[in-house]
Amino acid sequence: MSDEPIKATPEAAPVSAAPAAAPAPSAPRHEGHHSGGAPRREGGYSGGGGGGQRREGGGPGGPGGGPGGPRRGGKRQFFRKKKVCRFCVERVDFIDYKKAEMLQPFVQERGKILPRRMTGTCSRHQRWLGEAIKRARNIALLPFATEL
Amino acid sequence: MEERVYDLIFICRPATPEEEIGKIITTLETSATELGGKIEKTEKWGTRRLAYRVAKHREGFFVYMVVRSSNGDIIKELERRLKVSDPVIKYQTVRLDEELKRQQKLVHHRERRASRRPRKQAATPAAPQPIFPPAEQTAAGD
Repeated sequence: MSDEPIKATPEAAPVSAAPAAAPAPSAPRHEGHHSGGAPRREGGYSGGGGGGQRREGGGPGGPGGGPGGPRRGGKRQFFRKKKVCRFCVERVDFIDYKKAEMLQPFVQERGKILPRRMTGTCSRHQRWLGEAIKRARNIALLPFATEL
Repeated sequence: MEERVYDLIFICRPATPEEEIGKIITTLETSATELGGKIEKTEKWGTRRLAYRVAKHREGFFVYMVVRSSNGDIIKELERRLKVSDPVIKYQTVRLDEELKRQQKLVHHRERRASRRPRKQAATPAAPQPIFPPAEQTAAGD
């Protein structure tokens, strides 16, 4: 009795494999019995894509940063630390590129702009910040890149 | 006619005498007035350290100006003059009127929201009141 379903699958496999194999014999699939399960497995591509998408949401902290709570700065479900957007707290409407001291905390030692997940800035202010930093770089108030 | 506001910063070589810088500023002011603009503010930030080498200098004399004009071509002319002048090693113009407008809009929205809130808080205490009388009646009945 247990043999029947086992027999059924190898019978089904060549049936499904035949139409699949016939048009594309050179398709990059595993030959033989596994081809029946290929659409599920072969998400070698879809698995990678799904994993990639999950990675964006999970970030470095994964689900550990859950209980952020509602904040005025924005949604923060995926962050490891409970960081608040400094600018939202201070209610800053304009990030001045001329004030390099204000921009300094958001720039690495090497001169690179820190990502949002490190500083806890909300998306709107991160955009403004990026613009301000780039303007400051143009006028030599901040470096483009420093060699360590 | 929209009035445009620009931030103009330029950097002079560190050893430039004050008179030359004054001359440059005067030239810019004259050109601006000729083209129908107005220089609202001029600030000399003095010699500051540059973040990277510009024209083989590590320091520079910063000058900051705010230009207000309804004509966009004024900036072209000012920048041309700066490009031509020797002591100036770097300049940058940023148009700021849209940003200022957005800033004012945000402030305005925030004030409106703040003025609305007290009314909402007054409305909510009225809701739980009807619950009290039935409880009192049952307590009196017992």
